[in-house]
Amino acid sequence: MPFPVPAAASLFEAGQSGTIDRFTNEYLAGKLLDIGVRPGSRLRVVRKSPFGGSWYVKIDRQCLALRKKELACIMVK
Amino acid sequence: MHNGQVKATPVVGLVGNPNSGKSSLFNILTGLRQRIGNFPGVTVEKKAGMLTLPGLPTVELIDFPGAYSCYPTSLDERLVVQELTNPEGDLFPDAILYVADITKLDKHLLLFTQLRDLDLPMILVLNMADLMDADGLTVDIPRLSKELGVPVVPVSSRDHRGITELKAAIAGLLQDPNRHRPRQAFFEPGANTRDVLTELRRELPARNDYHALLLTHHAPWLKHIPDATRHQVQEARVRHGFHSLRSQVEETMERYNTFEPIVRSAVRHAGDTSSRSDRIDNVVTHPIFGPILFIALMLLLFQALFAWASIPMDLIEFTFGSLGQSIRETLPAGWFTDLLVDGIIAGLGGVLVFLPQIAILFFFIAILEEVGYLARAAYLFDSLMQRFGLNGRSVVALISGHACAIPAIMSTRTISNWKERLLTILVTPLTSCSARIPVYVILISFAVPPVVYFNGLISLQGLAFAGLYFLGILAAMLSALAFKVVLQTPERSFLMLELPEYRIPVWRNVGTTVWQKSKTFVLEAGKIIMIISVILWAASTYGPPEDMAAAEAQVTERARTQELSEDEAADLLASERLEASYAGHLGKAIEPVIRPLGYDWKIGIALLTSFAAREVFVGTMATIYSIGSTDDEFRIRERLAEERDPVTNELVYNRATSWSLLIFYVFAMMCMSTLAVTKRETNGWKWPIVQFVFMTAIAYIGAMVVYQSLA
Repeated sequence: MPFPVPAAASLFEAGQSGTIDRFTNEYLAGKLLDIGVRPGSRLRVVRKSPFGGSWYVKIDRQCLALRKKELACIMVK
Repeated sequence: MHNGQVKATPVVGLVGNPNSGKSSLFNILTGLRQRIGNFPGVTVEKKAGMLTLPGLPTVELIDFPGAYSCYPTSLDERLVVQELTNPEGDLFPDAILYVADITKLDKHLLLFTQLRDLDLPMILVLNMADLMDADGLTVDIPRLSKELGVPVVPVSSRDHRGITELKAAIAGLLQDPNRHRPRQAFFEPGANTRDVLTELRRELPARNDYHALLLTHHAPWLKHIPDATRHQVQEARVRHGFHSLRSQVEETMERYNTFEPIVRSAVRHAGDTSSRSDRIDNVVTHPIFGPILFIALMLLLFQALFAWASIPMDLIEFTFGSLGQSIRETLPAGWFTDLLVDGIIAGLGGVLVFLPQIAILFFFIAILEEVGYLARAAYLFDSLMQRFGLNGRSVVALISGHACAIPAIMSTRTISNWKERLLTILVTPLTSCSARIPVYVILISFAVPPVVYFNGLISLQGLAFAGLYFLGILAAMLSALAFKVVLQTPERSFLMLELPEYRIPVWRNVGTTVWQKSKTFVLEAGKIIMIISVILWAASTYGPPEDMAAAEAQVTERARTQELSEDEAADLLASERLEASYAGHLGKAIEPVIRPLGYDWKIGIALLTSFAAREVFVGTMATIYSIGSTDDEFRIRERLAEERDPVTNELVYNRATSWSLLIFYVFAMMCMSTLAVTKRETNGWKWPIVQFVFMTAIAYIGAMVVYQSLA
């Protein structure tokens, strides 16, 4: 575990992974929950997009593209 | 509600998450008997089709847009909630086929449990059942059916398994909708929503507690809620401290907790099915190879448009040519034969010739969509797009805009940020749609010499073709940047995009798309072209009587004094009559405006008619140049190549004029349908007018600069 205390997933480097603990933004949480991202899910940052700004993220078995702002509200431990 | 009576035309709704394979199933169930229209009041594409079941009246099957939950964030999703919470509405289904991807049941059941709690008769359709044996996936169907309380049917859009069973299940449900009524709700509204619900339950037109809860959440925007009730809901929400977002999050969490154990007990995954997708994505979404691959794909597409389509095009050209010829030979000469051959067949043939290229383009885009590439493209270019004030999803619109701006503009409704969406709508028509292909093909042959490199692998004309497309994209991006600076909104913007697993395309879906779109092109464009061809034929055959008489007298006079042969005299008469006709007058009237761009009055006529729809250009040319002529009407290209200015005797379609016309057609907003869609999507005339003015201004200035520097 790279971070023993929950930290924002936007701080992760490509290849790092963790378990989602909670969300810090209610509005984004609603949207993330709808597409199946929720506390307890495994999150792995796979790679950064070519022009920066967004990340290819794997959550459980699902692939998602998230912006930095969106990753920042996901607390991972 | 359900009294055991089957309605005259029962409505069955296909509902499910995006990427659940809903549309594939829709294609299988309805075949080509589909009607594509809009849901009332909104431009969300509504696909409806007929389904016949033994012992039942014909069923109307409606393909609802993909949605994740009853808490919508896009227009598409709002529509689903709007219709499914309104039992009085015309589209309220008598039964729902809930489509879920069998490999993603742990996510796709969220909306299912919500709709189930609305007490809607449902069948759970597990799509992609072909993966069941291949990937070691096992699903305990009877158990799932028992736990969820609905019939469960595994189907596959690939090998068509389960379709017969599904039809039987639909018939069974329609005949006895009460058989599978839910015995117990998946979710009971919690303590903090209890008070507000108790107060509103009697006031709201709700069928049960959950229905009332959803109406409480969404009353501010639901169309079927009367204003008085809306205010009541607002007041009750404030009085009881109802927190919509918090209540949504609680509900969603609880639902996952309820259905997850059910899925876990019924579904077994053997291996990691997505490793193949991961390996593909290592290359496709690679920071360096990804964009390179994207560009290579686009180049391949444009080369294909030029190279592959030539044989069917020649065939169509030949067919229409012989058709016109044989009509001329069989029918007696007269105005009707002229109208038929010069007006209708010439106009229609001139456009049908381009059907192969349009079909290839839609084929390509349908494959990219089916495979799952378009979502990757959106991911790759999101941050680049953001710099231009757009969203990663705008890439999808900008790519599909190359086929047709209308579906492309409609695809922007997945962008939740209004400014990003508006910018995408405004600039998408600058990408070169398929209607420009006819114009490009003809004019490029005058503007660019037919030189080939590498044994015909790359042609200069093909490069010019790709260049025009690139110019369109560049203009779109730069205009977006300009609008981004001008318009300011503080709204939040999202990417949050699902990257579906790569799949081999279901060829049936690709085929259906190509067929539907080509049919629409032929019918819709054909209609306009037909009308304009006939009007144009009349306007260029008839004119003010005194002018026409003067033209004829002048020709007779010249034929006598200059001793012209019969053919020469006929040609002269034709061109003089055209000039004296109503169309000629109109063309002459606008000639001063278009002279700086290098156009004569004949091109002026074509430009004017093109403002209805740009594909009319070629048809107009065919009509104008075939009036009164005895030649084969269908070799427009040859006719244009021989066209000379009567005064200077120079070729009309020289390099400067051809390039100027090309540039004009790249930028100009010449499509009434697109303007109509923009109006509907932006709710007013402001933005379509802005769009028309800015595009046409760029076109005029661009064409003038090009002509003046080349001439």
